[in-house]
Amino acid sequence: MTARLGGLVLGGLALTAPVWLGNPYFLHVLIMAGIFGVLALSLNVLLGYTGQLSLGHAAFFGIGAYTSALLTLRLEASFWVGLPAGVLLAALAGWAIGRLALKLRGAYFVLVTISFAGVISLVSVNWMELTNGPLGLPGVPAPALGPWSLRTKEAYYYLVLAAVALAWLVCYRLVHSRVGRAFVALRENEPLAESVGVDATHYLVVAAVVSAALAGLAGVLYAHYTRFVSPEVFLFTYTVTMVIMVVAGGKGTLAGPLVGALLFTALPEALRAVTSWQWQMLAYGIILVLLVFFLPRGIVPALRRRRC
Amino acid sequence: MSQPWIRTVLALFACAALGGALAAGVADAQAPVKIGVIQPLSGPVAASGNYVRMGAEIARDWINARGGVLGRKIELVIEDNKSDPKEAASAAEKLIVRDRVPAIMGAWGSSMTLAAMPKLEEYGVPMVVETSSAASITRRGNPWVFRISPPSEMEALGLEPYLGKLGIKRADFLAVNTDWGRGAITAFGEILKKQGVAVGATEFMDQAATDMSAQLTKIKGTGGDTLFLTTSVEQITLVLKQAQEQRLERRVITTGGSSSPNQLVKQAGPAADGTYHIVFFMPWFPEAMPDGTLARAFVDEWTKRGHPFEGLTEGFRGHDGILTIAEAIRIAGRDEPKAIREALWKVNLMGVNGPIKFEKDGPPGKESGQSRPSIFIVQIRNGKVALPEFIVRH
Amino acid sequence: MEALLQHLLNGLVLGGTYALLGIGLTLIFGLMNVVNFAHGEFYTLGAYATFAALTVAGAGFFASLALAIVAGAALGAATERVLLRPLRGESIDTVMLVMIGLWIAMQNAELLVWGGVAKSIPHPFPTAPLVLGPVSIAPLRLFVLVAALALIAGAHLLIQRTRLGRAMRATFQDADTAALMGVRIRRIHTATFALGSGLAAGAGALLGPIFLAYPSMGDLAALKAFSVVILGGLGNVWGATLGGLILGIAEELGAGYVSSGYRDAVGFVIIIGVLLLRPAGLFARAERIG
Repeated sequence: MTARLGGLVLGGLALTAPVWLGNPYFLHVLIMAGIFGVLALSLNVLLGYTGQLSLGHAAFFGIGAYTSALLTLRLEASFWVGLPAGVLLAALAGWAIGRLALKLRGAYFVLVTISFAGVISLVSVNWMELTNGPLGLPGVPAPALGPWSLRTKEAYYYLVLAAVALAWLVCYRLVHSRVGRAFVALRENEPLAESVGVDATHYLVVAAVVSAALAGLAGVLYAHYTRFVSPEVFLFTYTVTMVIMVVAGGKGTLAGPLVGALLFTALPEALRAVTSWQWQMLAYGIILVLLVFFLPRGIVPALRRRRC
Repeated sequence: MSQPWIRTVLALFACAALGGALAAGVADAQAPVKIGVIQPLSGPVAASGNYVRMGAEIARDWINARGGVLGRKIELVIEDNKSDPKEAASAAEKLIVRDRVPAIMGAWGSSMTLAAMPKLEEYGVPMVVETSSAASITRRGNPWVFRISPPSEMEALGLEPYLGKLGIKRADFLAVNTDWGRGAITAFGEILKKQGVAVGATEFMDQAATDMSAQLTKIKGTGGDTLFLTTSVEQITLVLKQAQEQRLERRVITTGGSSSPNQLVKQAGPAADGTYHIVFFMPWFPEAMPDGTLARAFVDEWTKRGHPFEGLTEGFRGHDGILTIAEAIRIAGRDEPKAIREALWKVNLMGVNGPIKFEKDGPPGKESGQSRPSIFIVQIRNGKVALPEFIVRH
Repeated sequence: MEALLQHLLNGLVLGGTYALLGIGLTLIFGLMNVVNFAHGEFYTLGAYATFAALTVAGAGFFASLALAIVAGAALGAATERVLLRPLRGESIDTVMLVMIGLWIAMQNAELLVWGGVAKSIPHPFPTAPLVLGPVSIAPLRLFVLVAALALIAGAHLLIQRTRLGRAMRATFQDADTAALMGVRIRRIHTATFALGSGLAAGAGALLGPIFLAYPSMGDLAALKAFSVVILGGLGNVWGATLGGLILGIAEELGAGYVSSGYRDAVGFVIIIGVLLLRPAGLFARAERIG
């Protein structure tokens, strides 16, 4: 009951944010947090529920960003064509990786995904004709809804908020379905789950596809918000940031990734405000170590335990 | 007895009030003029970003020592873009919205600059681009962008007059796999072809790569006489050392102005001997710069502050960028973004590099500003930086 | 032909250092189940420690190399005691996150201490290359190859021939049983992390003089080390050695004959192929997943 009330209050706060924030810079931080929230939710499907860590999620993110940017720039397609195309292509890549790699587990899966992201990133740098290589794609258009342009920050904020809600709903439905229970069964004890008829590879591929599709969605949102896509979208730091958000927020919970995304998008900006640049990244690293040290299971599970 | 006492108190109050009001007024007029700076201060190119920052600080202190601009001091608000376009956009947003800077200098690499540019348009704040070389920056139709660094084409044109004297017959390229490296290969390749020079291998290296022996072995097989090298000073050092190990005997010409020949002499030693470097500042012979006095003063100040000499070829960019913005603010008469943009078109001053004056570039009606920086070529001879012999003979 | 021989020699030298990096990581990964993101930072530490010993403390070149290895091992032991031991039993992701934090903190601390300008580490070898028929090699590189191979052999002897090594192998095979047999697992973990970090610092100390020392130098090194671990199989020291050499040569040939832009892709493609076809590594006797 209190959880539902809390949810309502938070939802209300999120919906009215442009009004009470009153500062476009904070809104910018919220938009970035929203985009990373979708990413963190996507990684959480694999890491939190099936227990498989992907360190190649920047690849799906980048595929989504490049697909939509190229479609809208080269073919002058609408954002509403670029969006599903980006999600679809990312999902397809997720399917391929899932099929190929999910017979591997643990550290081996981690390394296949790193390598996959590495190859995709190098393709984006070297395939000049398609991606414009390291020069990137500037001038990605802002989306429009019918006659209205979503160019303003407020409009884009609601677009991102809708995407976060959608991603959250997808995760919620997935987790509370047969599929979700199969994920957890596989995570907890794979041989046992298989012995009662759970087809491990099938379910892991489903997880990979959903996860990749959501990451692609985040990529599309990113491309049309920053309006510039370059091979840096495949930067390993993006993947690392996602992992930080999921694990520090609380993997295997639905709220954890969002809390993590909000916290770790706001933290670097907060550090910008309180210390000079020499200390920002150093402080970031130390805060991260301390956080894991004192809340090894993540923030949301720790809060939950306190309440019980 | 009581009345004078009251009068004194009243007078004191009045004085205090007046003084306070005056002080407040003065304080308001004394609020500093803010200028935003976005540079890569951490990450792989942190060294370059920090040199630019040091140069910017010198410009700030000099201007402030002369009484500032509009009678107010200049304050730099410095942000780190961590060599990540996303961070560059966030930094621009923060500077404009939170710190309310009326103008920005940044953001070193082209992809960082391109990522920050939509923010300039969104809020209407001008940015002086001090290092980026991608041609697209001033061709995108962003009227808030003013560049004082040369795009690769301009740099290649700067080399053209010397091509004949260098006697290049067949050239190879080795460049960092970024917009900068790719842009340089295209621009210099075109100039060379126009002059009838054959182009052999075009090889790339990753930004973080340390071992370039494979590329060098391949280049060795082309039988060319000149190698054009475009990358950071760290990678140039490694390439020169490894070229020596591979017995690759070529005339080496580095482009981009970030080669810092002093650092090469120090770190690559004899492997750097005989190499040519395109630079935009010659701190070894400041007198040869367009404004010799200013250049000499900048070199002296830099040395006095204990900054490394090899950073000068980057540091001057920061100085010239801040100087340009300050001059625009002076012309505008107020620190308001739109007025500063208009004033930037009227800037006509002498920087460490040479004259700074913006010409229109890009689609009509939405032109960006592009200055025509001076371009120089120097050679390392016997462990010293010198003017090439063909220039000295003139 | 001439170029091919030169490519092979270059690849061999490069591979030797990859192997050195990979061995340390494979031990830590295989034995402690820690995805050590900070491995590259111990490599960086090795390079800077050498630089500091040479230029600040004025030690000799070879003494500086030894000092760097000791410094890496000591800091590795401290890291294990302070950060990893309290987190034993937590999931692999949680531990990985701590190592990510350490990676970011160490790299930026290095930037703070040394500044971003690359440091060149002086060495006593002549710069003129040794010419051996159609190929040439710098004396320093030859020394580095020999030293790397010596360190690798030393690590191998330690693991195969000493009591500590036997305890490490027992822990790797089955930590619980080893503990029941009286192996002090905690000490083994400290020793393993110290050894792995010491080897990484050794790689940094050896490669620093060939290349340059700068704060972000460890990132690429760590990536290569991970590749080597996969090629060789978890915890497999000989596998990592051969894996390193193969990776070095493959990259060199890929850049030389395919495309230098895709140089680093060669390693990734090999890894994907190996993982899909022989997931336990190229040199595993039995297939093992997980």
